[in-house]
Amino acid sequence: MELSRRDALAALSAAGIAATAGCSSLLGDEGTETAAEETDEATATATDAPTDAPTETPADEASSMDTMVALAEVLYPSEVEPTESFVQTYLYGRIYAEEAYAGEVDSGIETLNGLANDEAGDDFHALSADERVSVIENTDLRTGDSVHDGSDVERVNYHLVDELLFAFYSSPVGGEMVGTQNPRGFPGGYGYSPPLDQ
Amino acid sequence: MSSTQTDDTDKTPVEDPDVCVVGAGPAGALLSHRLAKRGHDVVILEAGPRFDMEERVERMKRQIHPERGVDEIWDMGGERDEYTVSSDIPMPLNKRRAKGVGGTSLHWGSVVPRFRERDFEMESRHGVGKDWPISYGDLRPYYAEAEQEIGVAGPDEAPHQPPREEGYPMDPLPESYADKLYAKAGDALGIDVQPMPMAINTGAYDRNECQGHGTCEHVCPSGGKYTADIHVEKAEQEGATVITEVPVQRLEHGPDGEEITEAVYKTPDGETHRQTADVFVAAAGAYETPRLLFLSESDQYPNGLANSSGTLGKYFMDHSGGLVVGFLPGLEHSTTEYGPVISSGVFQFYDDDEAPTGGINMMLLNGAEPPIATVAMTSDEIGDELLEKIDLQAGNSIGLTLSTETLPREDNTITLDRSKTDNNGNPVLDVDFSVGQYAIDATEKGVSEFTDMVEELGGTVVLSQGTHTLNKADEFIEQTEGGYHPMGGTRMGEDPTESVVDPTLKTHDLENLYISGGGVFVTGGASNPTLTIMALSLKAADHIDEELQG
Ligand SMILES: Cc1cc2nc3c(=O)[nH]c(=O)nc-3n(C[C@H](O)[C@H](O)[C@H](O)COP(=O)(O)OP(=O)(O)OC[C@H]3O[C@@H](n4cnc5c(N)ncnc54)[C@H](O)[C@@H]3O)c2cc1C
Ligand code: SF4
Repeated sequence: MELSRRDALAALSAAGIAATAGCSSLLGDEGTETAAEETDEATATATDAPTDAPTETPADEASSMDTMVALAEVLYPSEVEPTESFVQTYLYGRIYAEEAYAGEVDSGIETLNGLANDEAGDDFHALSADERVSVIENTDLRTGDSVHDGSDVERVNYHLVDELLFAFYSSPVGGEMVGTQNPRGFPGGYGYSPPLDQ
Repeated sequence: MSSTQTDDTDKTPVEDPDVCVVGAGPAGALLSHRLAKRGHDVVILEAGPRFDMEERVERMKRQIHPERGVDEIWDMGGERDEYTVSSDIPMPLNKRRAKGVGGTSLHWGSVVPRFRERDFEMESRHGVGKDWPISYGDLRPYYAEAEQEIGVAGPDEAPHQPPREEGYPMDPLPESYADKLYAKAGDALGIDVQPMPMAINTGAYDRNECQGHGTCEHVCPSGGKYTADIHVEKAEQEGATVITEVPVQRLEHGPDGEEITEAVYKTPDGETHRQTADVFVAAAGAYETPRLLFLSESDQYPNGLANSSGTLGKYFMDHSGGLVVGFLPGLEHSTTEYGPVISSGVFQFYDDDEAPTGGINMMLLNGAEPPIATVAMTSDEIGDELLEKIDLQAGNSIGLTLSTETLPREDNTITLDRSKTDNNGNPVLDVDFSVGQYAIDATEKGVSEFTDMVEELGGTVVLSQGTHTLNKADEFIEQTEGGYHPMGGTRMGEDPTESVVDPTLKTHDLENLYISGGGVFVTGGASNPTLTIMALSLKAADHIDEELQG
């Protein structure tokens, strides 16, 4: 399953980058439709909002996207394929919305590349999936603390790893893989009320 | 914390206002709005900042992130918010209040049942506590007005509700999947499950409609949940002035000790200002209001302002209660995807003549598990293993949050801890609260009824904590700890030797000082307190208005 731009926009709207105005109720099966329509509305807002944002991705960012995709690939279930457009769209809003976050991404990638070079001799995005998994398993990534203003690795855990996990598991794509189309954090409307199982 | 920067708004006093309100939570907000609307010149002094609506999503993410504390969500903590707890139950106060425009309603769950008729007459009916000097009937029109002001979705026809003249402003929230499970269990067991009155906009109100984030407590990113900043802003539109980040240090009275003349406040850059007014209202919440009055001691009031009765800080109450989580494996749908966290409840055991007589308010949860994003972030796994782990637990929980009645006791107190000071050098408050057997009995009853419901549905209780397991208080998860519903400490009464305020909420001792908030409650009931706080504050506004007219 390829993670589309629309999926990313759903994640964005969970993070509130896209407009949260406009409303809907999730009612039975129509719910999926309604949530999806809202996501489309959000598309316009998310892409229109940062007026001075470049339309083309600059070269140095392309590589930060590569790193984020490479990280998302090992964090997300194998069934999903976090495309560049998912991650780019998700990060896009944040990078241009908040300078501070762009700084966290840049320095986080530097830390990650340092760990990857120590472990497997290359930058994180250039490693095979197995190598990326071992970088995570053999360091404090994931198992270590996740602190927004902590040490280098703690910040990678908070601003990169957890951010990508939040994006996925607060969106309907991640939610539906565990049986909920409106996971907590996602503004998927209210009132979803399927009948009781017989 | 970076997101709450000191603003550059004017911090100087307003010239000759009619009313000065200390605190911009629900108790200050509704009263200020009503008085401003009636043409009075109102100034609100608020200790905390004005939070930016755009930051709410970031705050919601703090709530979901496992490494961020509940106190971090609304920037609580540090020297400004120091306190001492001497209670027999953990009370993490900085996770139980917010300082800023909107006050603790920024945190709240927006569950708004009225008090029951019996709550005002516990002494006459059951020989416990003390009767209020006002009845449910006196407050009934104000309840209706408060519900109208904040927008409540609730059931017009439901059992076990106090009498009401008019319907709720909005239809109840739709029945959730979990509600259907509760109703099924209830049918089998003879327990009435009914819609819970909630201050959540289902469409009819002039604020955003609920969007279903499901994070109502502690942050509603969309504004569908009512928060009191709404009435602060409405008051400003009617001409009121709000001065933020100016904690009031003390209230000062004139030479005869009969009138407050000034509220003395500090600005973030350390300046001291004095706000005059004709009438003063202390609405700083039930923790800070007694502290402010103690800090305002004077030669005439050596034991604290408005404390000639000696009851200031006494008869403090918090609701007792607990959290029960049931696991129902193999459900076809997720219990959590509904949106609002609560949409139904059980009030059948609230007003019960059978023992235990303590009020029982059972709030039924639309899922009682952490958000899946929280589980994802907490875990060490990645990829498919992570997915599997989340899938194992997701969507199969139901739960109960219980609020039960504690009795007003003289030895449950808010006092000053003179050994510890805040950032302005003022002694901090010390809360000393013991739950008591009366409340434990009611909690056990509620827990047992809910346990039956879980078992009726073929599930298992996986967590059951609260005042019924007080001996294991050190094992409590954060949600189970106390301090959510502070009440008492500045109680209401006709007799100036036994109470701090009269039935109009004016202090017995000072003719232009009122107290608005849960502190004035005589008994605590089991209903969440804020709708009653709001009704009382609208009533007090009417009295103040009359006085200013005359
Ligand atoms: C997590 C949580 C969930 C809750 N859920 C519910 C619920 O579902 N239903 C319900 O009915 N109740 C609920 N409550 C309780 C509810 O929030 C309170 O009853 C309500 O906010 C009390 O209103 P208040 O205005 O009296 O005090 P507060 O809301 O606490 O406001 C007091 C204000 O005064 C300010 N202040 C304090 N000292 C000073 C000073 N010296 N100078 C100037 N300003 C000062 C504070 O900064 C604050 O803004 C909940 C509480 C918590 C913590
Ligand atoms: S469910 Fe509704 S009320 Fe609760 S946080 Fe979401 S939008 Fe706000």
